[in-house]
Amino acid sequence: MPDPLLRIEDLRTHFFTPEGVVKSVDGVDLTVTPGRTLAVLGESGCGKSVTARSILKIVDRPGRLVSGRMLWTRPDGSIADLASLPPTGPAIRAIRGREIAMIFQEPMTSLGPITSIGDQISETILLHHPISKAEAKSRTIAMLRRVGIPDPEARIAAYPFQLSGGMRQRAMIALALCCAPRLLIADEPTTALDVTTQANILDLMRALQAEDGMAMLFITHDLGVVAEIADEVAVMYLGRVVEQASVDAIFHAPRHPYTRALLRSIPRPGSRARLEAIRGSIPHPLARPAGCAFAPRCDQAIPGLCDTTPPDAYPTEAGSVRCHLHA
Amino acid sequence: MRDYIIRRILYMIPTIIAISVIAFTIIRLPPGDYLTTVIAELSASGAAVDSGTIAALRDRYGLGDPSYIQYLKWISRIVLHGDFGLSFEKNVPVNALIWDRLGATFGISILTLLFIWAFAFPIGIFSAVRKYSMGDYVVTFFGFLGLATPNFLLALVLMYVSVRYFGQSVGGLVSPEFIDTAWSWDKAIDLVAHIWLPIVVIGASGMAALIRIMRANLLDELYRPYVVTARAKGMSEFSLLLRYPVRVALNPFLSTVGWMLPTLVSGEIVVSVVLSLPTTGPMLLRALLSQDMYLAGSIILIASLMTVLGTLLSDILLAWVDPRIRYQ
Ligand SMILES: Nc1ncnc2c1ncn2[C@@H]1O[C@H](COP(=O)(O)OP(=O)(O)OP(=O)(O)O)[C@@H](O)[C@H]1O
Ligand code: SF4
Ligand SMILES: [Mg+2]
Repeated sequence: MPDPLLRIEDLRTHFFTPEGVVKSVDGVDLTVTPGRTLAVLGESGCGKSVTARSILKIVDRPGRLVSGRMLWTRPDGSIADLASLPPTGPAIRAIRGREIAMIFQEPMTSLGPITSIGDQISETILLHHPISKAEAKSRTIAMLRRVGIPDPEARIAAYPFQLSGGMRQRAMIALALCCAPRLLIADEPTTALDVTTQANILDLMRALQAEDGMAMLFITHDLGVVAEIADEVAVMYLGRVVEQASVDAIFHAPRHPYTRALLRSIPRPGSRARLEAIRGSIPHPLARPAGCAFAPRCDQAIPGLCDTTPPDAYPTEAGSVRCHLHA
Repeated sequence: MRDYIIRRILYMIPTIIAISVIAFTIIRLPPGDYLTTVIAELSASGAAVDSGTIAALRDRYGLGDPSYIQYLKWISRIVLHGDFGLSFEKNVPVNALIWDRLGATFGISILTLLFIWAFAFPIGIFSAVRKYSMGDYVVTFFGFLGLATPNFLLALVLMYVSVRYFGQSVGGLVSPEFIDTAWSWDKAIDLVAHIWLPIVVIGASGMAALIRIMRANLLDELYRPYVVTARAKGMSEFSLLLRYPVRVALNPFLSTVGWMLPTLVSGEIVVSVVLSLPTTGPMLLRALLSQDMYLAGSIILIASLMTVLGTLLSDILLAWVDPRIRYQ
């Protein structure tokens, strides 16, 4: 295995709300390898977006990183702990957009509504590169062309409301990739799009990744998308990674009971097995179970152990799994 | 953008016509025709009223004609000759009376607007970004105080303070010794020493309102996804704040251009009377009391026209800032 590009260790991001502390991310471990795609999979509310935002230190108040390390390999080979950088300081801002870029879930609202897409992109280029405005503009046009926006010379003047959802997400991708980042975090970039557009955008992202050799952290709750795009998969449940493994291992030899339950809950081509919904529902974030967070829904839970002691992460051939069964 | 402006200007035309009809109706509102008023006025002032004068007046105003003819005569004199008719009370053309006053009104309006903007903009941004901080509470407290204090009371208090503690003559726009003198440095300085007071008094409640609006609008925008996008690009908090959410929240500022003028012309009459400002407000009040209807109608007409123009201006500014309006 090559050296990791980003290693997250025991990341905890909590929201200090008036109702109590919401432990949205509570001990996440992840490893991103250069040039590869890590899919982060999990049900709604399990903390995928908060994890992604924690990496860039853009968690909204009342959220705060309470502990953990995020070791990022800079282009010069040095290692920076993102967790220790002040969230509004120049050090993290030099990394945002330049070394690590992000694409968001809602293409409709994630672009500034009254600024032309060309301005929004070239502004980012100018922020990180000492070049002229004319140069930034021609790079912007080139970038728009790369993401498949027709007639980019004219479209740089377009405003987001003049573009379709798919075109907007392409503009968003152009914005994220305009500084050739080493890691692209994509937070459900296709969820808000129709199926055809979704497939087009995924193809585009894969093609761009092949050209630029960047790594991707791809957040989704869609196993079909995972199968299509991922090299590695991290399965999250209630603020923790319960299993990380190669995409083949996840689909063919899932270890964690939750991963298995997820796989049983989706239709698979060629399979006639009946679909099973996962029993029970996700616990309220303010009332997390004392032991394994999945215990109340787990068929294999060991009474007296799973409901009292949180499992550690145990290594497997293809990664790691957080479950007492694999101790 | 050009099409948008042309469209807006075309939309203005019916509004302007409606305004002129309303102003004309107001002129005709007092019982009896003007002539009765004029004759009453003239004989009250002891002047002899000969039948030639009466006939000339009768013809000039088209009395005896149906209303719409009278309206057309009146409006065409204004449009073609800039003749607004005669002030019955002073027996001089309205033109000779109103332009200085209108100048003062618009001068004070524009200065008040600039004053409001200069303070409401940074304070509104501050209190949104530092929501529920000490500073926000202080601003909010004074904001509500400003909204709740009647202007004339604020005027009286400020006048008292500046006479009592700064020994300054207040009221009017210049000290008595400068009235009717030519412009000089001393007069200009004296003007500045006087004009802050009406600006503060008239601007106080508008500023408080605008701070609240700016704060609420900006709070609406501050947590939108596009702000997170800008942050994720690596922009500094200050520049992304001004570049994205503030620009979107700016609309109410530009709309103030439109609503500042009517409040100044009508709503601040009391203030202008208290401060004895040479603006149109007190003149309009006096004209209405003495049934000097051409004067009153003209002031209403011009002030309303200016308001329509102000609205046009703010619409153009809005469209300039916000492409969603421009292209709709
Ligand atoms: N601003 C906030 N204040 C309080 N709690 C929050 C806030 N943002 C997120 N959370 C909590 O953090 C938890 C994880 O949220 P997150 O957005 O990471 O979920 P997700 O996995 O991305 O889900 P989805 O698939 O719906 O996007 C949720 O339970 C949510 O209640
Ligand atoms: S630790 Fe126990 S409860 Fe949790 S997933 Fe494993 S078996 Fe189930
Ligand atoms: Mg999410």
